[in-house]
Amino acid sequence: MPWQALIDAIMLLLWGLMLLRFTVTGKLYLLLHPDYMWLAHLAMVLLLGLGLARSVQVWLSYRQGRGRFLRSQEHVALLPRHFSVGLLIAIAMVGLIYTPRPFASETAFQRGITDVLGQTRSRPQRFSLSGESEDRTIVDWVRTLNVYPEPDAYTGQTAKVSGFVTHIPGWPENMIMISRFVLTCCAADAYPVGLPVELPAGSPRPAPDTWLEVSGTMQTTSLDGKRQLAIGSATLTEIPEPRTPYEY
Amino acid sequence: MAGSMTQLNNGITLFFSLLVEAMPFLLIGVLFSSVLLLFVDEQKLLAIMPKNVVLAALAGSLIGFMFPVCECGNIPVARRLLMKGAPSAVAIGFLLAAPTVNPVVFWATWIAFRDQPEIVFLRVGFTLIVAVTIALIFSAQDDMRPFLQDNLTRMMGEPESSAAADPEVSPLLKSGTFLMQSPGQLLQLDAPPAQVLAQVAVAPPPLGTRLQMMVDNMVLELRELGAVLVIGSAIAALVQVAVPREIILGLGQGPVTSILAMMALAWVVSICSTVDAFFALSFASTFTSGALLAFLVFGPMIDLKNISLLLTVFKGRAIVYLFALAAQLIFLLTLIMNLYTS
Repeated sequence: MPWQALIDAIMLLLWGLMLLRFTVTGKLYLLLHPDYMWLAHLAMVLLLGLGLARSVQVWLSYRQGRGRFLRSQEHVALLPRHFSVGLLIAIAMVGLIYTPRPFASETAFQRGITDVLGQTRSRPQRFSLSGESEDRTIVDWVRTLNVYPEPDAYTGQTAKVSGFVTHIPGWPENMIMISRFVLTCCAADAYPVGLPVELPAGSPRPAPDTWLEVSGTMQTTSLDGKRQLAIGSATLTEIPEPRTPYEY
Repeated sequence: MAGSMTQLNNGITLFFSLLVEAMPFLLIGVLFSSVLLLFVDEQKLLAIMPKNVVLAALAGSLIGFMFPVCECGNIPVARRLLMKGAPSAVAIGFLLAAPTVNPVVFWATWIAFRDQPEIVFLRVGFTLIVAVTIALIFSAQDDMRPFLQDNLTRMMGEPESSAAADPEVSPLLKSGTFLMQSPGQLLQLDAPPAQVLAQVAVAPPPLGTRLQMMVDNMVLELRELGAVLVIGSAIAALVQVAVPREIILGLGQGPVTSILAMMALAWVVSICSTVDAFFALSFASTFTSGALLAFLVFGPMIDLKNISLLLTVFKGRAIVYLFALAAQLIFLLTLIMNLYTS
């Protein structure tokens, strides 16, 4: 029995299945920008294909009782073979069990959440302000602010955005940041953006990481000694965490 | 406690994100590497390489245009080229330039920096300058073997005599037992088995067998390079989670510190060259153009993730040389650019 080839086949199939699981459960959206997902799908097909081809070879050679895999392949090896295979199988198993979590408020704060997207990640080809203001997402607002930062220009416009709650230290009790992570290519470069929200008088401050849909009217607020655009007279609706928690 | 759990979750998510992003390119690289092994007549490819060492370095740097692979994929190809007896100028030029000087990366960079086309062209230009320079420095060394991993040098066989460097000397003047194959082509019978096998493999086996061998080779390389990629991604994720980005980015204001900061970031983030232009774009308005270029040129050459892959080819000492040379040259070029243009 060509055990080594069989273990290789299992390793390839497990990796393919791991990618299949991320695809089917939608967790691939937590890892990659949708533009690059076809690459992951291609990898999945290739890995499953290679794994199946390997399995068929193993089966055929087992049935024919021929040592087709006896050809010794002297090979450049930095790592011992058993270690490599063991590590790859272990990681595939973790990937089959572990459920990736989207980044949350703590990370947003650590990575320097901002409403000044001075560093606009992906520069939009065309930027139209003619659309309804309540159709804009958080990142649309931030990009708009990036082009024309004067908050007074937006006063009175209606806004309807969804995101998770971040508490910024030093802000008054009635202010939260409604935030999203923006992906350029994969989770490694996710960066947070957000808009300040003024809570209605008397309403409790929602816990960090609560997903909310916020509708309200844009106003200029002073925060940290800086004039900033904020959503005022806000209505907060709790929503489940979306399937695609990032924006692009 | 909740904080460390969040960090752990972030780390694992980053880790899988890097893996899922890099695995397709590793597969493509391994596929190309295997195709090169079995379907490309490497003797012909290497025969059309110019003899002049500068031109050879340049040619090696440009082969990447035929192999659209990023830095996770080019190392197996470079290793294969070395095994096939490529001159060090060709192999090093390829190793350093191929992740950047190839159609896919050029296209991605163009999409990202359409507003600043100079970034796209300077990225290619600087990469070629650095790759050719380092290739020349390394080829000044007559024998590359001391720099290479022992198991790779074993695959390469014995050091060739001056015949390779000087085509005027007839191969018949070499000592040993030879078999005349075709005019000018000799098979040395007392050569190490791997070398004999490599030469015998030139006589093409049937297609089915070759396909089977290709699959075998893909699995083999995937297993090894995949394991190395896993380790590299784990380290990259760990550093990203452990070092606050503000510390790295806080350095990035002046013409000098911005370059150093972006090079450090390139090293830490280990992002694939096919997608790093989008990542660099995010810093377009906060960092100097020189710093962006430093990121785009340096990252694909050497980063935290591919150091472990480079170790499959080079010994640690050679990687230190590569790293130091590339870092200094890129720093110099981008600094000149920063001082000259701003």
